[in-house]
Amino acid sequence: MSGRDEDHGVDPVTTEIVRNGVIAVTEEMKTNLMRTAYNMIIYEALDFTVGLFTAKGETVSIGLGLPTFIRGMGETVRQKLAKFGTDGIAPGDILVTNDAYITGSHLNHITMTLPIFDGEVLVGFACCMAHWPDVGGTLGGMTTDIYSEGLQIPILKAYRAGVPNQDLIDIIRNNVRLPDRAMGDWRAQLTAIKTGERRFLELVRRYGRQSVLGGISRIMDLSEAAARARTRTIPDGVYEAESFMDDDGVDVGKPIPIRVKVTVEDDTMTIDLTEVSRQVRGFYNSGLTTGFSCTQVAYKCMTSPTDYPINDGSFRSLTSIVPKGRIVSAVKPAPMRWWMTFPMTIIDTVFKALAPAIPDRVAAGHHADLIIGNINGILPKERRFYLGIMGPQGGGWGAKLTEDGLSATVCLNDGDTHNGPVEQVEAKYPIIIERHALIQDSGGAGRHRGGLGIEKIVESRAPMNFGTQVDRVHCPPWGLAGGLAGFGNKVRLRRAGKEPEDFSNAKVLAAVLREGDATILCSGGGGGFGPPHERPAAHVAEDVRQGYVSIEAAARDYGVIVDPETFAVDEAATAARRAVLAAAPQRSAGA
Amino acid sequence: MRDNTTPALRLAADIGGTFTDIAAFDETTGRLMLGKALSTPDRLVDGISAGVAKAGTRYRDAGLFLHGSTIAINTILERTGAHTALVITEGFRDIYEIGRINRPDAYNLYFKRHVPLIERALRLEVPERLYAEGTVRRTLDEAALRRIAADLARRGIEAVAVLFLNAYANPVHEVCAKAILEKCLPGVFIAASHELSQEYREYERCSTVAANAYIGPRVQGYLDGIEDHLDTEGFAGTFLVVQSTGGLFEAERARTQCIRMLESGPAAGVIGTRALCRAIGLDDAIAFDMGGTTAKAGVIYGSEALTTGSAMLGGYATGLPVQIAMMDIFEVGTGGGSIARIAEAGTLRVGPESAGAEPGPACYARGGVEPTVTDANLHLGRLGADRFLGGEMRLDPEAALRALRTRIATPLGMDVTAAADGILRIATTAMSYAVKGVTTERGLDAASFALVAYGGAGPLHASAVAGELGIETVIVPRAPGHFSAFGMLFSDLRYDFVRTWFAALDRAPFDEMEARYAGMEAEGAKAVHSARLGTGAVAVARAADMRYVGQEHAVTVELPAELIRAGDRAAIKARFDAVHERRYGTSAPEEAAEIVSLRTTVSGTLAKPPLERIEAGGAAPPSRAGAGTRSAYFAEAGGFVATPVFARAGLLAGNRIEGPALVEEYASTTVVQPGDRVTVDAFGNLVIACRGRRR
Repeated sequence: MSGRDEDHGVDPVTTEIVRNGVIAVTEEMKTNLMRTAYNMIIYEALDFTVGLFTAKGETVSIGLGLPTFIRGMGETVRQKLAKFGTDGIAPGDILVTNDAYITGSHLNHITMTLPIFDGEVLVGFACCMAHWPDVGGTLGGMTTDIYSEGLQIPILKAYRAGVPNQDLIDIIRNNVRLPDRAMGDWRAQLTAIKTGERRFLELVRRYGRQSVLGGISRIMDLSEAAARARTRTIPDGVYEAESFMDDDGVDVGKPIPIRVKVTVEDDTMTIDLTEVSRQVRGFYNSGLTTGFSCTQVAYKCMTSPTDYPINDGSFRSLTSIVPKGRIVSAVKPAPMRWWMTFPMTIIDTVFKALAPAIPDRVAAGHHADLIIGNINGILPKERRFYLGIMGPQGGGWGAKLTEDGLSATVCLNDGDTHNGPVEQVEAKYPIIIERHALIQDSGGAGRHRGGLGIEKIVESRAPMNFGTQVDRVHCPPWGLAGGLAGFGNKVRLRRAGKEPEDFSNAKVLAAVLREGDATILCSGGGGGFGPPHERPAAHVAEDVRQGYVSIEAAARDYGVIVDPETFAVDEAATAARRAVLAAAPQRSAGA
Repeated sequence: MRDNTTPALRLAADIGGTFTDIAAFDETTGRLMLGKALSTPDRLVDGISAGVAKAGTRYRDAGLFLHGSTIAINTILERTGAHTALVITEGFRDIYEIGRINRPDAYNLYFKRHVPLIERALRLEVPERLYAEGTVRRTLDEAALRRIAADLARRGIEAVAVLFLNAYANPVHEVCAKAILEKCLPGVFIAASHELSQEYREYERCSTVAANAYIGPRVQGYLDGIEDHLDTEGFAGTFLVVQSTGGLFEAERARTQCIRMLESGPAAGVIGTRALCRAIGLDDAIAFDMGGTTAKAGVIYGSEALTTGSAMLGGYATGLPVQIAMMDIFEVGTGGGSIARIAEAGTLRVGPESAGAEPGPACYARGGVEPTVTDANLHLGRLGADRFLGGEMRLDPEAALRALRTRIATPLGMDVTAAADGILRIATTAMSYAVKGVTTERGLDAASFALVAYGGAGPLHASAVAGELGIETVIVPRAPGHFSAFGMLFSDLRYDFVRTWFAALDRAPFDEMEARYAGMEAEGAKAVHSARLGTGAVAVARAADMRYVGQEHAVTVELPAELIRAGDRAAIKARFDAVHERRYGTSAPEEAAEIVSLRTTVSGTLAKPPLERIEAGGAAPPSRAGAGTRSAYFAEAGGFVATPVFARAGLLAGNRIEGPALVEEYASTTVVQPGDRVTVDAFGNLVIACRGRRR
């Protein structure tokens, strides 16, 4: 067999078998969590992450879940280990926390960790983060510190040697609005981590502890080598870019700057977030763990997008600089309830920075928001309190060097996240959806076009409370290499039969809707790539025929004159218009 | 109507990508006859006729012609369907394109999503709307629909799918729209979503009806061609088609509910497994089917094949959903043609890329240069170079060796035999995940099942896969390469119904529930009787999709009609808790449950042929079964060992063979591992007792 120095005593065949094995373990954890969860955020939105970790807390395999939680569980496992020490953890223990400054996210993320023992030996951890729909705290509206956001559970033992911590369970039950649901999700999470334990131990017994642990070390080394090799193909240099968020919901209209600096040197990359905004008063902050997640997600997308399992080996060649007190490294008592919006734009901005160096490995800006509407009220028939979530809605993604952007796809924060079917939410909540459709012209024009956003109009059939926290209205998804920006996100309300009113920053902290009132949420389109006048005229005409692009936008942005009846291209008029566009200075935003 | 003058031959034809398999059963003599012919894609009936002749049978002697085909699935995967339009509720034409918005390949900026079968320009909206309760919010605008129909006629549309929101709760507008479209568009294939699924989830139902319309005209033409051919050849019996559940339905019904025949071949293999299990008294078995590009696993549990209510066509990430009853089959991209490659940074991968039939594995010597699972089997002596397809096709061991050495062994610093063995080990674990997918992930213990192996490559790998899972018994049926056609002979008429019906269990109105079941069952009974096959009993199996209040995902719970008629809420709840516990290892007996959908399956039982018995012999195989020895590699035996080879056709009931050994037949080779012991049973099955390999 191979005599390499770094083979950890494991041959390529065993390594591949272990690789398939750990992926299968986290996939099964994921399946079991999804199917036993009580809340739509876990089942449909897949707002969870499961994973296997080494005995030192390194990530071995992650089942997504939430792509930007790539760091959250590993960090939590390591802090739990630091708190109790290896000696303080015994078989049958299960550790829990929702400390926002550890997970880097919000208090809804209950994170449970099970140490896996092979006999007496700690061989790893199974971990599961899942989003609970309610952890107490202020219902709706804005929060300006963590204490108003709900129950904070420090790192504790939820089970001690197999015995549940009833005190903790009672405290939780007393602090959340839907205790039975919460306990349903609690059980689902237990199922997931126990599945991870059982299946990992099966692997250990089948192939031997040394082979499995050696195989894991080798997988991580191979991932490192792959990431380094891909990094080496990026020209050395310093790359910078900036963008901004609309506001933090408190200081309305005050933009929040985002500046990133990326240094590539040989097979290493440094991503510096020193110049992103300081933490804000509104609830859009996240913790340091998420600052690191931002850099890891960006790095993985550019260097090892399809390398599975997702493991820490891929990040050994990445250095992250994230000083404390930024929007993605906020310190207590910063509010964090809507932690997930800003990081997506930071990651997109890293792609923007590297676009000149590796145009084939990045995409133009995307809609970068979950586009969620929260509703609550009393069900008219059952007379029961409900909490409902409309979304995530999905929107446009940026075009690439060689492809159009995809329409109607969930934002970067989420991965295998599903929307809720119209027929499902209408059966569950007192609403009726009037329209669920792509928005014409919302994709940024370019040689490759950005994907389209979605408009969703939801009418109330009974009084209810509504809130939404959308951003990126004023910094629409940017184009690259001469491509134009897509439409930004947009929120409107139609009340008392009047014309819909526009919310300039797309944030509605607390509104009361009556029967017949409607919310209109529009997700943005993706940015375009390359000058629009270089898009083949036949492709533009086809977009017009399908209704993705209007006849007016075809002429204005692409310089293609299309016959409204036959969709034929007027070649002469097109050539003339395109000559004008080619001569004009490049525009940075949509017309 | 069948009577005493009806010919007593039952013919089954399974058309696959490479071969057309025929199985025929003569009810008077009890004889089973088999024929295999190359498929003839340009005129598929030619392949059927060749197979029928090879089996030594004639159409005119047959009373039943049973047929499974890949026509439906291929039309979708190859995008060769009709010019199709979608008529949909105003405001919703994009739901087919929006889908569920997910990105499973989460860090890949070049991710792909599903591509609808119907372009946006042909998705047309009509004013109408129902509430979730099924009451009308906005009446169907019939005039607008007529204008759309006129426009579609001008555009030369061949098929139209109709999807209205909440039609699962009340199909009134879909029924009306279909009638109008049929009147305005004579000769055009029209399908409405409620005819296929009355389950909620608009995107999945839309995709289902769109696919049905898209394949409709082509499937109709295909069925017409077969009917014409049968007529010409003097067939005067009944033509039945295999559904994705493995159940049969009349060709006439298949003409409108085409989507139900998507996976007929794989489903029929599971039905064959069920028949085999019943004959030999096995309750639980895994149906393991391995071919050139994939390995598939289905489950027989408590003597019944497990089915599911939905599937993704073309894979999870970019596939199109269909929401109809199907055999619950888990598939992995590992087959004989799976290519072994060294991925980035020196990792060894096997599949999912396949060398297919062209160029095929390196050893086919048709230009393939990459090593495959088949090349590894040849190098290790598991396959004989001069025995492939009964010796009709010679394999090239030098080509296999060259591919294994240059592409895998040398770059990884391994010897060629270790590389070949490693490729098979990786393939084995990958296939074991297909089996786990339908067992452990359903809360079933794979180790307590027998593994029934078929398909060309199944018997080569079954013992190794069994070892991976702790399975102790492997059964290789007779003619494993014809097993899907064989399975069709054992199927029944089957009609599946589902209605979404939300109700809290503790308040559910049982009289209304009973009425809904009865309505579906009356429809099913009518279908059984209209098939006029003089079937025996009409069997009904009820189930309900249930969940705890607040949960999103439901599990299907079998519900005997007596429980519903008696209104026994506690017993129903206990059944649900038990299913939840088995499937997920957790349940909450103290928590309230709710019903999401009602399901019922109506079957018209057909008489089954008895399994043919073979001649009995002693423990030692007769000399005519001996086919010499071949040097084959078994890691457990320490390397290459002289391995006895047997010709399966010569084996007698009661013969025993100790591993290591190889049993060869026309389209397959069974690998008997060291320590395994084979007994040939009364029906000619190879029953392999796997040594006590523990997990």
